[in-house]
Amino acid sequence: MHGNDNTVGVMSVEKDATLDARGLMCPMPIVQLAKKVKELKSGQVLELLADDIGAKEDVPAWCNRTGNQLVGHEEEGKLFRFYIRIK
Amino acid sequence: MADKFCMVVSEGSFDKAMMPLIMGNTAASMGMEVHVFYTFFGLKLLKKGIRPKLPGMWRLFTGMIVKKMKGLNIPAYDEMMKQAKELGVNFYACSTSMSIMGVKESDLIEGTKILGATKFLDLAADSKVTLFIG
Repeated sequence: MHGNDNTVGVMSVEKDATLDARGLMCPMPIVQLAKKVKELKSGQVLELLADDIGAKEDVPAWCNRTGNQLVGHEEEGKLFRFYIRIK
Repeated sequence: MADKFCMVVSEGSFDKAMMPLIMGNTAASMGMEVHVFYTFFGLKLLKKGIRPKLPGMWRLFTGMIVKKMKGLNIPAYDEMMKQAKELGVNFYACSTSMSIMGVKESDLIEGTKILGATKFLDLAADSKVTLFIG
């Protein structure tokens, strides 16, 4: 678990939906993420699973750029989990 | 207003075909407004049913790389093009290149707009990011 300003413990995050982007390479996880976020309501939390190494930097950058909030993230071997609160 | 992202594509090989789509689809997914201008050899990438090949002698290995990418779950050129359309990426054909290359409006992929350099530069002048793929 990394700690930075907008990150809280993953255990305390309740998710409303999950997007499994495992097995997809850049930019597909981000393209699917953007699509999925449109289906969700403001304030809901999306869990994103990805194993593309680029996702580690890409997802926080996407959140920052689009104004969605990355509320938690963790690494489990080659798997990245991100928790994103929809703006 | 969304940030604008403009690209010029002047080569028609497989690598030059994929790059603007990867960049463009990513930018559109980041909420940017994307404009891609195809000129010279890049123009053929906007033709219906095109299957771009690797450049030069490497063209013989196109099938191999396409297969490899498929194995990695990377969408093919036509699939990425379809995705770009869904994401609202704007595609433009250079009017002068169309005359030089003998490309007709009916040869172009549905939704392609035909522009001159002026309109494209007008878009580019307001862009946060501009890239040249060539």
